[in-house]
Amino acid sequence: MAHRTPPGSSASHASCLDLWREKNDQLVQQTKVAQDSGLSPRRQQLAQDALEGLRGLLHSLQGLPAAVSVLPLELTVICNFITLRASLAQGFTEDLAQDIQQGLERVLETQEQLKARLEHGLRGLWDSVLRVSSLLPELLPALHHLAGLQAALWLSTDRLGDLTLLLQNLNVSQSRASEDLLLLLKTWKPPAEESDAPLTLQDAQDLRGVLLTAFAYRQGLQELITGNLPRALSSLHEAASGLCPRPVLVQVYTALGTCLRKMGSPQRALLYLVAALKGESTWGPPLLEASRLYRQLENTAAEIECLELLVEALSVAHIPEAPQLLIEVELLLPRPDPASPLHCGTQSQAKYLLASRCLQTGRAENAAEHYLDLLALLLDGSEPKFSPPPCPPGPCVPEVFLEAAAALIQAGRAQDALTVCEELLSRMSSLLPKRPRLWGHARRGTKELPHCSPWVSATYLLQGQAWVQLGAQKEAISEFSRCLELLFQATPKDKEQGPASSCEQGCTSDVALQQLRAAALISRGLEWVASGQDTKALQDFLLSVQVCPGNQDASFHLLQTLRRLDRRDEATALWRGLEAQTGLPQENAAWSLPLYLETCLGWIHPPDRETLLEEFRTSLLETCDL
Amino acid sequence: MAGLAPRVEYLAGFCCPLGGLAAGKPRVLCHGAEVFLSTGSELVYVYDREGRLLIAVYKFPGQVWHLELLALRRALYVLCARSGIYCLSLDQASRSVSRDDKDDRVDQDSEDGQVDELPAPVIPVHPDTCVLPGATLHAFTVLDDVLITLAQGPTQWKVQLFERPCPGEDPRPGGQIGEVELSTCTPPAGSLGEPTAPRFLPVLCCASPPGSRAPHGHPWGSGGVTLEGPLFGLLFGSDASLLESPVILCGLPDGQLCCVVLKTLVTSRSAPGDPKSLVKILHHLEEPVVFVGALRTEPLSEDVEDADCDCLVALGHHGRTLAIKAMWDEAGHLVPELREYSLPGPVLCAARGRGGHVYHSTPSDLCVVDLAQEGSPWDLTQHDGAPGGLPSLLCPASLSVCSVVTLSVSSRAPEGGAELLALSAKGRLMTCSLDPCSETPHPARVTSANAGQKIKELLSGIGTVSERVSSLKKAVDQRDKALTCLNEAMNVSCALLSSREGPRPISCTISTSWSRLQLQDMLTATCLLENSSGFSLDRGWALCIQVLRSSQALDLDSAVSAITYTIPVDQLGPGGQREVTLPLGPGEDGALDLPVTVSCALFYSLREVVGGALALTDPFKDPSSNECTPDVLPEQEGVYLPLSEHTVDMLQGLRFPGLAAPHTQALGPVSPARDPVHTFLGTCCGPVSQPAGPASLRAKYLPPSVATIKVSAELLRAALGDRHAGVSLCCATLQWLLAENAAADVVRAQALSSVQGVAPDGTDVHLIIREVAVTDLCPSGPIQAMEIQVESSSLANMCRAHHAIVGRLQRLVMEQAARGSSPPDLRLQYLHQIQANHETLLREVQTLRDRLCTEDEASSCATAQRLLQVYRQLRSPSLLLL
Repeated sequence: MAHRTPPGSSASHASCLDLWREKNDQLVQQTKVAQDSGLSPRRQQLAQDALEGLRGLLHSLQGLPAAVSVLPLELTVICNFITLRASLAQGFTEDLAQDIQQGLERVLETQEQLKARLEHGLRGLWDSVLRVSSLLPELLPALHHLAGLQAALWLSTDRLGDLTLLLQNLNVSQSRASEDLLLLLKTWKPPAEESDAPLTLQDAQDLRGVLLTAFAYRQGLQELITGNLPRALSSLHEAASGLCPRPVLVQVYTALGTCLRKMGSPQRALLYLVAALKGESTWGPPLLEASRLYRQLENTAAEIECLELLVEALSVAHIPEAPQLLIEVELLLPRPDPASPLHCGTQSQAKYLLASRCLQTGRAENAAEHYLDLLALLLDGSEPKFSPPPCPPGPCVPEVFLEAAAALIQAGRAQDALTVCEELLSRMSSLLPKRPRLWGHARRGTKELPHCSPWVSATYLLQGQAWVQLGAQKEAISEFSRCLELLFQATPKDKEQGPASSCEQGCTSDVALQQLRAAALISRGLEWVASGQDTKALQDFLLSVQVCPGNQDASFHLLQTLRRLDRRDEATALWRGLEAQTGLPQENAAWSLPLYLETCLGWIHPPDRETLLEEFRTSLLETCDL
Repeated sequence: MAGLAPRVEYLAGFCCPLGGLAAGKPRVLCHGAEVFLSTGSELVYVYDREGRLLIAVYKFPGQVWHLELLALRRALYVLCARSGIYCLSLDQASRSVSRDDKDDRVDQDSEDGQVDELPAPVIPVHPDTCVLPGATLHAFTVLDDVLITLAQGPTQWKVQLFERPCPGEDPRPGGQIGEVELSTCTPPAGSLGEPTAPRFLPVLCCASPPGSRAPHGHPWGSGGVTLEGPLFGLLFGSDASLLESPVILCGLPDGQLCCVVLKTLVTSRSAPGDPKSLVKILHHLEEPVVFVGALRTEPLSEDVEDADCDCLVALGHHGRTLAIKAMWDEAGHLVPELREYSLPGPVLCAARGRGGHVYHSTPSDLCVVDLAQEGSPWDLTQHDGAPGGLPSLLCPASLSVCSVVTLSVSSRAPEGGAELLALSAKGRLMTCSLDPCSETPHPARVTSANAGQKIKELLSGIGTVSERVSSLKKAVDQRDKALTCLNEAMNVSCALLSSREGPRPISCTISTSWSRLQLQDMLTATCLLENSSGFSLDRGWALCIQVLRSSQALDLDSAVSAITYTIPVDQLGPGGQREVTLPLGPGEDGALDLPVTVSCALFYSLREVVGGALALTDPFKDPSSNECTPDVLPEQEGVYLPLSEHTVDMLQGLRFPGLAAPHTQALGPVSPARDPVHTFLGTCCGPVSQPAGPASLRAKYLPPSVATIKVSAELLRAALGDRHAGVSLCCATLQWLLAENAAADVVRAQALSSVQGVAPDGTDVHLIIREVAVTDLCPSGPIQAMEIQVESSSLANMCRAHHAIVGRLQRLVMEQAARGSSPPDLRLQYLHQIQANHETLLREVQTLRDRLCTEDEASSCATAQRLLQVYRQLRSPSLLLL
């Protein structure tokens, strides 16, 4: 092995350099051995040892004054150290910036130009080092390598401005004016390392490829989220055309699918999604995206099928491969964000999505089954397997119970629904308000209006509906009455108190509370009607119209009852109001109500509104004719 | 807790580093008769209480930071710093006794002598047996089937959930169930530096909802608790209670107390959980959390053996204590009741006991506090009608054990009592049994004894508070005082520095006199410090007097060896005076090198006044004072204000025994430093034994050295002004020269024109003033002049006196020149000639001195003679001062 030894340097110096070089090469070899030894503590140990070895080597190199002859080796050792450290920690930390800074300062030390040091931070340091490096061509390969690592660090910490300047400085021969990072990365040509250079874990060329893919993907995803679809598409294409590991490719293809779906090319989107599914590493995101695509195409059967597959895919425990001991694209990607379009969530979240879609699309039996599965998944404590609730961004656990009960009633399984409701009530019992203790506080006894969570009221409402289905009018009416009692005690002020989780606030909006009251009143009214007690029914319907003026169903039920009771004048006035409103869309359509409430409102919907209005009109005309 | 009678029993001693064990990392756990113990080193000891012997010692690859026992699964989990988590089977621990491979023995603390009859084998634990590798793990806890770890990331704490590995199992890479990041933490410093061991480790506590208890005992490890439903729901939300999910509570070194609902932590592999939805911050203690746990504070009904806890407690390192209970308010709503207490710190460790007791250890004591309600049935008013509320004040009761670094409450407690297993900083393992009968937490009714105890507790509480208040008050007072002092010092400095011209508000005048001290005559300098300013000089001010001897004063290099006296000025109010007298010499050798320069300065010591509080601030130095006397400035930081400078020369040091003044007579001519025995002998032997020193010989046989200076009478007259009124100019001149001498009055009274004095070393000095007329100088006729002649048998003393006179005349001429008096016409040619003469003389001196160095003894004698002659000529110039 012939090394270039600077003239005049002593023999011991050269042999020291040789020793250090050999040490570096040996540590790099050791890391490569560790890389190949699969996932084991031994591998971890080997890599850790190599890291410590590099650290020690760096210490001895930096213990001496900086010399141009030693610097290429020193910079290479720094690069190897940073590469190994970042890949072991699976991320870049601020310390690495300090390591880079130290390397740069050592370069400047040889030129006695340390003045620029701390004036502009790392950026200024790079400026002066690159200016100096034109005088030291032997340093260029190592410096470009270090610059690549700096670029990776800045990319992962989103300091794109600094990154652009650095690349512009590196590309000084080419188009300097360009601001386009992608273009800059493409035109950056790291000088090839000489054949006798010390070994590196990852060379600058390789690093450049990784940077290119990571940046293109990051940019594409960013554009996708901000809605700049054509640019997102081109960036993602760029990312897909680069060399990237399979899991990243799946993500890129899925993002392309999302982008094309939003651009209105479902067929092309589908092609990408199929390609993504062939990736065989992670099926979650493409399947979820496919379900969204089919939903957009209103192909419910396919959508449900996708969701079922998604649930299945997520139930498979995924064993990760050992990460490479290199800077990989994954290291440079933004942290997975639940808000990202590529986030597919957990199994229970998928299961919930499936169940609720089934309920929404009228597949009540399937919905009921899925909801029961989900509850079992969440609550079965005997199994060691943990499964998170679908919250957030989905509903919280009490709502899952309520939706399950609603689905069961919808599917005609009223008895099961009652069981689910009872389970919910028993689990919430410790959180329910308690009457104050009686001892010594008689004056407070008058204020026995405890706050109650709207969920408890909703549970009573669903229990009542289950009894209705079972034909037990008496029980149904008593449940509706309990529900109403609680609902009218809950004042807006009370809502702010009590054990409130974040999503509890959302589903107890004033509108939902109004609709819940109306639903309970109408339900009880209908039971009164069924038992022939029209006056009581009339009272409830009247109240429901007052409580929730926007709910037309209440008005229709009131109209019918008035007609039955033969209270013509009131009926006519109400009819006129209804006639005027029919042209307008339902007011509450804009508000999204909890799914269980929507389902429940569906049950008390008057079946033949148009015919009722028509009949009323003709009967009114008849009376006029008379 | 009336009259807790702790019974402490030492079990064994374990080796500990010099300076004792540090709190935070040692752990002690007990399971039946077995005690598992780590002292923060690499060793984990298994000790048998029954047999009182060490069963086994395990040596891990790194420091052991945490132990957790999962009794149900018979497994001991060990967190080893920078390595990971290891798992030991409990059966393995007992089996290992019979093993043969004892490479080395435990270096036991032999002074205890209780354990080491049978030194246990050290069983090394190989790094490969690590069940969960992780270099950044800082804490963990085990729950039936999962292992929860807290790792320190580069910027954040990370909670990770794993399937519980079993002893002897290979680490499963897919075992991770979920992870989430907590708040930021301070990143470890240094780029290449090794991560340092943290001072505080985070603490974890696993809280389970009610009813989740497995039928066969506790599903959790040694650190878990079961909370009552309402408290659980209130703290962790309805989702956690509906899911009946355990919750992990993390107490972080930055003071945060946060929780993660375990069932929500399950994430898909690719994504760590969203901290915003998964992590809830319960509280911030603002000091490192050292303990998180829960207690049962309300009385148990008769039949229930072990009820769920109804109070969450967290303790900070400095003693801040948080307690949370669930309450129903008057409207029936569930509300949290949260109280913070302050216990004496620093808290080394803590443990929860039964019945609302929390034990906590400080370096000076092990205390127990009771969070249980204080017998509400008989005291309704105190609790504001809220039954089961938290006490408003905690009264720590001492157990009289100090420096316990780790603590565990033994399950083998006697009925109603408690038994603590503790490890002291000295490495002693001990049990502390608390007397059950005196520990009835809830007296059914008030007895007089109870009331007395209660009052005692309250009084002690008041005592603690008042102690704290008084210490705080003292601190504030000190600070106030320091500020006042600083303000005064500032005023004084300003007054002194602003009045550079004119009379200074604070002045120091220096005068000299001869006095007899310890059988020896001493020239003493008296410094009179007068404060005529409106401020008083208080504590912190000191008068610095520096005495610079002549040999040193003339030789610039040795100036550093001047003597500085620092005298504290204690309370010098406006108008006050302080007098300080210093001896100037002669010293032991009888010599007194005149002139001596005495400079006075005021020094204000910031360090003394402000103390440690401002010790690091820049010294308040006045730059101008720095310039004046840079070398006088003492090393301490403070304000240095120069006051005055005075030179004591020969004219002041002369004594005149011949003058009949009452006070000088007393001193007598016995003068200089003479041993009384010597004097006695000298008088006995009479003239036979004359002092035979060369000086006295010379005095006897050589003609006295003479120097003359001529000053024009006109100049003197103008300078002396009124002073010569009534006396001849000669007398006035002599008076002027000796003005600062103690004999000045006598000289004036006797109207002398010549005087015979004694120098400090005893040789004569003769001063003669006469009137002469200088003829050749002025074309307009002869000029009246005064000739001042100094004669002394000692050349050195003559020189000193000459020097002193010349100095005075120089000052006089300068003053006169400033007044602008014009000299008469002079004959320039004559002046030139005199100057030329002098120059030739000087040149001759130079050559003579050069020759002196090279010549042999005989000729050098002649040269020396000639040199002295030339010097004499030089000393008697025909020049006249005008």
